[in-house]
Amino acid sequence: MVANNPASKLPPISRQYAPYIEADWGFKNTWYPALFSNELAEGGLKGVSIGGHDIALRRARGRAWALADRCAHRGVKLSARPKCLTDETVTCWYHGFTYGLEDGILKTIVASPNDPLIGKVRIRTYPVVERAGIIFVFVGDEEYAPAPALEADLPIHIEDDANAVPHILDDNVYVRGIHRTGNSNWRLAVENGFDPGHLLIHWDNQIVAATDRKLGLGVEPITEDAIKVVDVPDGPKGIMNMYNLRAYKFIMENPAVGLKARGKKPYYARTSTYLPGVLLVEHWPIPGWAQYEWYVPLDDKRHEYWEVLVGRCRDEDERREADYLYDHFFEPLALKDFNDNDLFAREAMQDFYQRRDGWNNETLCAFDKAVIVWRKVAARFNRGIQEPPVYANSR
Amino acid sequence: MIGDARDGSASASERRVHLRFEDGAARDIEVAPGELILDAALRQHVPLIHQCRSGSCGTCVARLVDGTVEMLRDRALSLMPYEIAEGRRLTCSARALSDSTLALDYPGTLIFGGDPHKAPHRSTLAATVRTIEWPVESIARLVLELDRDSEFSFHSGQYARLRIPGTDQWRSYSMATTARDLPAMEFFVRFIAGGAMSEYLRTRARLGDTIEIEGPLGAFILRPGAAPHIFVAGGTGLAPILSMIDALRRQPGRRPPILLCFGSGGEATLFARDELELRQWWMPSLEVRLSAGRVDSPSSGILKGTPIDALREDDAHDPASAAYVCGPPGMIEAARRRLAAIGVAPERIYVEQFRPSIIGDPAIAYASTERSIGVKVER
Repeated sequence: MVANNPASKLPPISRQYAPYIEADWGFKNTWYPALFSNELAEGGLKGVSIGGHDIALRRARGRAWALADRCAHRGVKLSARPKCLTDETVTCWYHGFTYGLEDGILKTIVASPNDPLIGKVRIRTYPVVERAGIIFVFVGDEEYAPAPALEADLPIHIEDDANAVPHILDDNVYVRGIHRTGNSNWRLAVENGFDPGHLLIHWDNQIVAATDRKLGLGVEPITEDAIKVVDVPDGPKGIMNMYNLRAYKFIMENPAVGLKARGKKPYYARTSTYLPGVLLVEHWPIPGWAQYEWYVPLDDKRHEYWEVLVGRCRDEDERREADYLYDHFFEPLALKDFNDNDLFAREAMQDFYQRRDGWNNETLCAFDKAVIVWRKVAARFNRGIQEPPVYANSR
Repeated sequence: MIGDARDGSASASERRVHLRFEDGAARDIEVAPGELILDAALRQHVPLIHQCRSGSCGTCVARLVDGTVEMLRDRALSLMPYEIAEGRRLTCSARALSDSTLALDYPGTLIFGGDPHKAPHRSTLAATVRTIEWPVESIARLVLELDRDSEFSFHSGQYARLRIPGTDQWRSYSMATTARDLPAMEFFVRFIAGGAMSEYLRTRARLGDTIEIEGPLGAFILRPGAAPHIFVAGGTGLAPILSMIDALRRQPGRRPPILLCFGSGGEATLFARDELELRQWWMPSLEVRLSAGRVDSPSSGILKGTPIDALREDDAHDPASAAYVCGPPGMIEAARRRLAAIGVAPERIYVEQFRPSIIGDPAIAYASTERSIGVKVER
């Protein structure tokens, strides 16, 4: 027999999570945060872009609606110049094509009220859920209906901690945060979020120095139960780094470079990540609080980085206290100073993965087990892979 | 017109044949006395899917709904008597004795365009051999790469004809990959001693060889829909089904439940098991049952018997289920009967047969799964 067979293009290990490698533009048929509620005033219209879907968000009669941000007529973005004339419609600023908020159907054309097109043309709509001060949109195929519950695309409720952090959908929680654009593919951002070995970039961050926390130089999985797979039927799917078990070893020094973990107060914050790519950090920035992060794909090169803090607040006094902590401690030291380093790290990986086939040329080490498990879980439990938008006249 | 169009008598007038496609599209053609229906259709710009034009491959089959259509008597046909009794006709070998209606079991958009995926235009292209390997002893995996700038596309389930380098012989193989994987195309070739492609692969083939490809061909394509899918594959009949499973993973909307029953004569000839395991990981709604005539390792989970034996009573509990069958001829009929018995609607059972490579040669065992359509060595 003729002997011949160079190894197939993809090395064996990454073939196991091939669907994840395909997902340059993100996963679809899933819930993503689009705007904070207070970013969309009554009567307002704003455009966001998620996985190549341009989406126009409108608040009318208190409720948030989402439609395609592209007029069927000449293709302009409705959000380019908001023009909202009635409580039940959105009107394109150019010729006045007016679409129903509920069904996207063309109800009238301001410049041509008897036009035969009326009632025969529509733009698509997207399911919207507004909870905890965030407007979530279900982004994917129109035919994927009904949309699953929002809870399925959020972290789990924590049950194994006597002082469990609150869940974002709980009653009596304070929810506040920021979002900004990061210049890296969404997957690099997700993986940076829970990657157990990157504590070095936080070594000298303000919050670490100010709280005198002994974070350690790194965390290494040493037993089988170090990384737990979360698979709730019709619910969240993801992985959890079980730092609370003896499954992980905390690296406190590296004599080869003369570095020791500084700080006096040992501290760890357990992390877990769920499809479509939402991180939960427990007891961060301080015990009793949780940090949620999303990495919403804008396109194949950028993501919208959401950082949202969740804490328990039962009354106005506690809210005022939380506002103080957020304004003077959490946002500047945690959301900005600490996580700025993560944004930096993600952007530093982007070139390798985008232009140098990083998925097939990376060299992973012991603590990257968590990353591999995440990739496999994401490859299996996603509800679909977002296609890049097709532009006519391009190949 | 002379004579009553419906009396079935051989009159000297043209007959009108109404061609009805699966998606409701329809065309009327005039068939001259003595003219073969396929010829008449092609003449009038209705490119009915066909291949061998000699009554053997079965590709051009249609179902007689109304009227009288008679098969040629001087041809050996691949239709069984009971199929003819059920109304099946091979349009390449049939004449209309009265105005008639024939139903085709593929959508009109496949040949008339208008399909969002565009009816692929048939063409001949060059491709380079990139991989030849033998995952199991008797089956070769061949990966070709189409030349850059080639315009080629296909629906999952279709096949292409490949010309064996240095010869005028063509053989047909189903693409095991999807259009999304182009320019790469993967084929599985069952090794047959003395077979033209087999001998090429075994003795002469080199990476970098050029192979001419013609296609895409065939009406065995994946229909859109979210109903449960049942796939039954025998031997290299798995190839088009692998393509269909990969297409289902990327199709819009919810992924349907999928059952694949894949079988082969011996456990050692069950190829692509690692690929099937990967698909099972990527698709929680995919169930794979492997069958073999001879099972060597009882703990492997491989069922003894045929892939048809592996079907269970409640597999088609959803009445909207669709089934796709691909393999040797004997398997097709048994599969059709069993699928109908467990509740799959007959019009939702889609089949493709793999036939022996040299037509009429008794030396080629019927179990052969190397397929060639209408090959006659040019002299």
